[in-house]
Amino acid sequence: MPASSRTARAPSPGAVTVTANVSLGLEWLWQQLQDDRQPKILDCGRMQGATMRALLEREAKVYVADLLSAFRPDAPDLWDRSQDPPVFRLGELLRQVPPIPSGSLSAVFSWQLFDLIPASALPELVERILSYLRPGGVLFCLLRDSNVREGAETRWCLEALSTLRKDGDGAMPFAYPPVTNRQIEGLMLSANVKTFLTRFGWREVLVRK
Amino acid sequence: MPDIAVSRTANPPIPTNPNHSTVLGGSLVVKGELSGQEDLLIEGQFEGTVDLPDNALTVGAQGKVKAEIHARQVIVLGTVEGKITAKDKIDLRKTANIIGDLASASFAIEDGAYVKGSVESIRETREVGQEKPRSQSHKTALPSVV
Repeated sequence: MPASSRTARAPSPGAVTVTANVSLGLEWLWQQLQDDRQPKILDCGRMQGATMRALLEREAKVYVADLLSAFRPDAPDLWDRSQDPPVFRLGELLRQVPPIPSGSLSAVFSWQLFDLIPASALPELVERILSYLRPGGVLFCLLRDSNVREGAETRWCLEALSTLRKDGDGAMPFAYPPVTNRQIEGLMLSANVKTFLTRFGWREVLVRK
Repeated sequence: MPDIAVSRTANPPIPTNPNHSTVLGGSLVVKGELSGQEDLLIEGQFEGTVDLPDNALTVGAQGKVKAEIHARQVIVLGTVEGKITAKDKIDLRKTANIIGDLASASFAIEDGAYVKGSVESIRETREVGQEKPRSQSHKTALPSVV
């Protein structure tokens, strides 16, 4: 459970609810990286000023790869529908990742990315992400609980190093069933998986390579 | 500790102001090495290298730059492909679209800016200047206009 939670702005019609939560998962992550003078971090979300501020203050080198905008309703289709059945073009999505040396990263932040892509593409995506991590590096994933059906457009960022901020839930439904802890453990056979439950309907799953 | 300003609301628009002593207009397409000692606003297209070690470069909303950029300050509203190194500050507005690595002593980042690349703080300002010899030119040089 998070140590504290607050709503920065009261919800009103048309308003965006901003909620910040101290994250035990993030506290654990930074504990793992406490001896890392200049952590190298991949942020797989849309570039958010608050996240960049928090990470740069930690003297991190931050790689930015927006893997989430591709799932907005107005984004080009990521499915190759000329094939039967249609094939998810993961390679097209991964073109958003800048050049990153293999085994160089201290951490990867994956904001609900695994909840947005089809299960068939998960193994290759996980393999690619893990290949960037150095031994001891940590993958931070936000995954929805099974009762959360909407919020595919939720924007997440770091308000501070150990504080998660959620900007609105949105009404966009998730296209696929929630990813289970068992699925994650199956994909991360060579890594240690740690799960933190939260009060806000999401799981923080951390994978230490 | 880097100085990082973050704005969730739009920053004031960049005016087409008289403080920019040089403007590369929207209809211009330029290739080459650009160096000098005055501020520059690029509204057109530029490809090559930009070296303004003591001055500011602004890439306007319509500007398209494919270049390695060294400057004291860089403000981006438009599109840049290439590495940006700024001694003092990199300021990314929400319309900025950047493919390349960014390094500066401080950053101002507006939500909505798109970056594919890395972002890194540099502590010592002299690190920037040492990466590339400074031009002795006192005028902005535009060697070739296409």
